[in-house]
Amino acid sequence: MIDHLFSRVLRLRPRAVVTTLVVAVVVGLGGCASPPEVEPVNLFASAEEQMKMRNMQTRTFDVSDRTTAIRGVIQGLQDLGFIIERANEPLGIVTGARFAEPNYYDVVGVTVTVRSAAEGRMTIRVNALFNNEPITDPEVYRDFFATLERSFFIGRS
Amino acid sequence: MRRSGGPKPHCAFLLAVLLLLGACASGPRTTSKEFFQLTPESAANKSMQTRRFEMSDGDELLSASAAALQDLGFQVTESNRALGFLRAAKERSARERGQEWSQGLTAFFTTLLTVLCAAGGSTSSAIYVPPVDLHQQINASLIAHPLESGEEGARFEVRVMFYRLVWKGEGQSGDIYIPPGEQKMEMIRDAEIYQRFFARLNKSVFLEGERI
Repeated sequence: MIDHLFSRVLRLRPRAVVTTLVVAVVVGLGGCASPPEVEPVNLFASAEEQMKMRNMQTRTFDVSDRTTAIRGVIQGLQDLGFIIERANEPLGIVTGARFAEPNYYDVVGVTVTVRSAAEGRMTIRVNALFNNEPITDPEVYRDFFATLERSFFIGRS
Repeated sequence: MRRSGGPKPHCAFLLAVLLLLGACASGPRTTSKEFFQLTPESAANKSMQTRRFEMSDGDELLSASAAALQDLGFQVTESNRALGFLRAAKERSARERGQEWSQGLTAFFTTLLTVLCAAGGSTSSAIYVPPVDLHQQINASLIAHPLESGEEGARFEVRVMFYRLVWKGEGQSGDIYIPPGEQKMEMIRDAEIYQRFFARLNKSVFLEGERI
C-alpha cells in the first residue's frame, strides 16, 4: 500500500507539484478570513462621547457604606466568574479579569471604582476591556449592573 | 505529453488540510454580550468554590487561609485586610507525557509527508512540530466575606478561585520557527482541588482557634 502510494507520488512532475502548492496555499489562505479593517482610533474622544461612555458605565446604588459596596462588587464579579486581581479599600478600587471561556486566549478585564455620592448612596463606575480594547456595548454594562443589584439585594437579605 | 493523474489532488488536499489546521487553530469564541451574564454553571462553580466558617474574628480566618495556601506550596503575592482578600501563586512544570508523544508523532508524520512530496519535486516543507506545555503558574484568589455577627463570633464565607497560566515551549511550522513563550490561561474547575484546599483550611482554622 505504502509502496503503491510512494510510486504514485514519484510519478508527479515538478509542474504538478507547483500547482499543488499553489492550490494548497490559496485554500489555506481562504480558510482564514482576514480580520476586519480597524478604523484609526481617536485617542482623545470628544467630550460628548466621553459623557456617553461615562453615563453608560456609572450607576448609583442605595448602599449604607463603602466597604459594603466594595464587598458587593467583589461578590458580583466572582459570581460572573471574574478573578479578583487587586482590591484597595481606602480608594474603593477593584480590578478583576476572566478568560473568555471556552477560548483561553482572550481576556476580559474590569476596573470598578466605588465613591460615596451622598449619605447612604454609592456611585459605582465600571470600565470593561476585551483584549485591552474598551467594550462600548451598553448592554454589557447593563448586565453588570443587574448582577450587582442582585448581589446587593442578597447581601441585604 | 503524459498527463499526471491521481496523486496531485491527494497531495493538494493533504497540504491544504495541514495549512488550514496550522493557520486557524482558534476555537469557538464567547461574544462580548455574554461576559457579564450569569450562566447555569455560575451557581455550581460558586458552591464548589465557597465554604462557610465560624470564627471569632476575620483577621484570624484570613491568616488561617494564608497558612492553608502556604501548606499547599503557594506564595502570597497580595493581601488586603479590610476586604479579607488574598492572592497567591506557585510555579510548576507543565510537561505531560501524552502531549510529548503527540508532538513526536505529528513531527514524524509531517516529516514523512514532506519527504514524499520532496520526492515528487516539491521544495516546500510541511514539517509541523506543535509546541507543548512547558511551564505553569498556578494562582489562587481568595475572599473572606463576613455574613453576620452574633454573640459568640461571626460567620464568614470564604470563596477561592484557582486558575493557571501555561507557557508553551518552542515548535516549528514548515520553515518557520515558533519561539517559546506562547501563553494559555485556564480556570481550574477540578472539585477535588477545592475540597483539598478547604480540608486544609478547616485544619488550619482549628489550629488557629486552638493556638497550636
